[in-house]
Amino acid sequence: MAIMMPASDQAVLARRAEIVAALRAIVSGEGVIDTPAEMRAYESDGLTAYRQPPMVVVLPDTTEQVSLILKYCAGQNIKVVPRGSGTSLSGGALPLEDGVLLGLGKFKRIREIDFDNRVVVTEPGVTNLAISQAVAHAGFYYAPDPSSQIACSIGGNVAENSGGVHCLKYGMTTNNVLGCEIVLMSGEILRIGGKGCENAGYDLMGVITGSEGLLGVITEVTVRILQKPETARALMVGFAEVEAAGECVARIIGAGIIPGGMEMMDKPAIHAAEAFVHAGYPLDVEALLIIELDGPQIEVDELITRVETIANACGSTTCQISTSEAERNLFWAGRKAAFPAVGRISPDYLCMDGTIPRGALPKALARIRELGEKYQLGCANVFHAGDGNLHPLILYDANKPGEIERAEAFGADILRACVEFGGVLTGEHGVGIEKRDLMPEMFTEIDLNQQQRLKCAFDSQGLLNPGKVFPTLHRCAELGRMHVHAGKLAFPDIPRF
Amino acid sequence: MSMPASWRFRTSRGSSAIAASVELLFILNLDTGSSVDTLKVRDAKDVEEVVRAAIANEQPLEIIGHGSKRSIGHAMATNAVLDLSALNAVTSYEPNELIVTLQAGAPLADVLSLIDAKNQQFAFEPVNTAPLLGTPPSGTIGGMIAAGLAGPRRIRAGGARDHLLGAHAVSGFGDSFKTGGKVVKNVTGYDLCKLLAGSWGTLSVMTEVTLKVMPKPEAERTLLLRGLDDAAANKAMTAALGSPFDVSGAAHLPYQAFRAKPEGLGDLAGEGEALTVLRLEGITASAAHRAGSLRELLAPFGTATLIEDAASAALWVTIRDVLPFAASGALGAWPVWRIVCPPASGAALGTRLTRETGGDVLYDWGGGLIWAALPPKGDAHEPAVRACANAVGGHATLIRAAEDVRREVDVFHPQAPGIAALSERVRASFDPKTVLNRGRLTRGAVA
Repeated sequence: MAIMMPASDQAVLARRAEIVAALRAIVSGEGVIDTPAEMRAYESDGLTAYRQPPMVVVLPDTTEQVSLILKYCAGQNIKVVPRGSGTSLSGGALPLEDGVLLGLGKFKRIREIDFDNRVVVTEPGVTNLAISQAVAHAGFYYAPDPSSQIACSIGGNVAENSGGVHCLKYGMTTNNVLGCEIVLMSGEILRIGGKGCENAGYDLMGVITGSEGLLGVITEVTVRILQKPETARALMVGFAEVEAAGECVARIIGAGIIPGGMEMMDKPAIHAAEAFVHAGYPLDVEALLIIELDGPQIEVDELITRVETIANACGSTTCQISTSEAERNLFWAGRKAAFPAVGRISPDYLCMDGTIPRGALPKALARIRELGEKYQLGCANVFHAGDGNLHPLILYDANKPGEIERAEAFGADILRACVEFGGVLTGEHGVGIEKRDLMPEMFTEIDLNQQQRLKCAFDSQGLLNPGKVFPTLHRCAELGRMHVHAGKLAFPDIPRF
Repeated sequence: MSMPASWRFRTSRGSSAIAASVELLFILNLDTGSSVDTLKVRDAKDVEEVVRAAIANEQPLEIIGHGSKRSIGHAMATNAVLDLSALNAVTSYEPNELIVTLQAGAPLADVLSLIDAKNQQFAFEPVNTAPLLGTPPSGTIGGMIAAGLAGPRRIRAGGARDHLLGAHAVSGFGDSFKTGGKVVKNVTGYDLCKLLAGSWGTLSVMTEVTLKVMPKPEAERTLLLRGLDDAAANKAMTAALGSPFDVSGAAHLPYQAFRAKPEGLGDLAGEGEALTVLRLEGITASAAHRAGSLRELLAPFGTATLIEDAASAALWVTIRDVLPFAASGALGAWPVWRIVCPPASGAALGTRLTRETGGDVLYDWGGGLIWAALPPKGDAHEPAVRACANAVGGHATLIRAAEDVRREVDVFHPQAPGIAALSERVRASFDPKTVLNRGRLTRGAVA
């Protein structure tokens, strides 16, 4: 493993049998998993380059059990890593050798559907897609749609503030969640927010969303649901130059049009996708835009015309407009299969996730090309063009010595470039362990200390998901002192990793 | 930036220990004869110096922009005011990126003009509290975010918290920090922006913020239903918001609300009838088409009439700014509560509250926001308001009340003990010495 995690607590490991027994007293039967063979299923999440079997896995199915587990672990100084469906692409659910892996997979029930208030109250293990399916009969859906929506859990979506293709228009998870039940590391159960538009007091729901499992364990979520748009149509537009495609995106937004989705693929991504799904993508273009407009038929038809005019003015070389659901889905099929398509042309790939200002797209792609030459690795780019979220897929072969290290260095340089161009390290996949050590590229020590102080307000012992997000761990008591100032390494005795 | 003539460099020591210890660092604007020093800062460095002086002297600061919302909350213990109004630059505005970066003291009205010139807006429709509170027309970007008061489009576009992408701020440690960024899609680190929005200046002093802007809709149409009682109006709004017609405003004005003859209603409020209003925005053909479809859907509630564009916009300003309860109007002396609740529970809450208190209410957000003006009383009818809100899982804030009332009544909704304790730990993680707006949120916190 190339990344350092907090040193294992030998005292805890020595008491493993006792800890397993204590967890069995809380969750009986198959809810506690402690054999190496069975625990293998939990040793990694969607970031499969990193693996670590946990000390023990526990799968509670009630909030009270979660509370008892956390209270016990807090009392015994045992680290806990929460896990939903394990689809994180940033290693957010990577276990710790001396940690309890707390799986929420048994929280599978939708507790309430309230059409009058347009909310669903659900347990965290329910998948993103299952929420939409549960309300589809009344014409509703849950808007955020991460690509993994068939598998990813809503609890994980809240932890990661998941996005998706449609978040340009409909927002990310944080804009669609109203409340939650959360268990703190102390075992305390709290209810935050509810069915109203706003919470009383500080927006705790807002800061819990996207906290990557470091602040608490979510045991219930209240999400808002929307009526499905009457119709959706897509344009598939090819450009001979990436710059022209970027200009087209800027002009669409500049014209006051917010498409439901606006995706870009570069030539390597187009070719990989076309070879895989045969969507009819043009192969002689440098960039392909898929632009989806949704809403009432009359609005969609008019906006399609306006977008087509803009695309032509930007020098598009091809422009197809969907005339049926089947055709619209075909346009999307290649984009949605881009990751597995790239998986077919390369033994391994790393998926990056930086965000840049839309206008920086051409120079970001030029930089990625230069870096690809420097590191002698290929890269296919898919891009949520509407909101500047870039997913370079770095192609490498893990069996060739040194390639994974080169791929990771390439990826880190891409993310540094995103920050340099005015963007951020991660748009929707989270920091986790993957981007943890790059956090100082974007934040000063003071910025990070303020974030860690907030962590202390929720988890004063630092036992919940340690080693994620922050490159340096501080003790809460030290962070609370007034003398922490810029440019000083305040605690040279604390290990950095 | 030029310096107004009324400012001067301070030459003598002020009355507060903070002013004394930061004397040479920045411009002061002294209220002659007042025991309160107003510390007018020029930049984030000044803010750091003032906060550090406050920490060193164990003296709290009141943080203001234009001070337009100073009367919201409890009286603060301070003899030093940190005034951000000179920190008023537009750092950058990039219409094609849909973002604007501003210093916290930038005047809201100027910023709205700036983005309006590019046909853009803050989609959450920030409330202009001046008419309600009876203050001069003013207010800053920082105040807009710190108060987090969103207008009718909250139901569709979110609130201030959903539009704050990034911030630079000075914590109660006296340190400048940043959170978020200048892009919409960002999950790098904790989203501290969410906490800053609506924190009433109690966590940090924002110095610069990046906000999302959105294109203004080409057209707007508002359907009007007349004569519905609150329960029927709530049902009509629920039906509209549960439709696919993308309703961007849903409000109900019971007839009593018109006793003040508010602006913006024109002759809409005639005939002694309540008014239920539903807004559709977008490209012209779409707004008109959806208005037609929604009118059909709402036929069981009566025949809706239609107003367009300018008339519609004026109506929604009336609702956004709660003009029926304006300080200059017939109910100007009544305390005003802002109650947030599950939208479908609005009518039950509102009718019970008016029955118990003899007050007036307005419904926005499809019933999820209730503005209540209640007859003057020493406790502003707090027990009734809290009981009505708690009964449906809502919460209430006393937005307008005389200072003596605010001494007797909790302005902000009391929270469950666990949430209150966590909120206090969160607050202390930003400001352990409680130097920022001490006492504003919690009654009795000031000895």
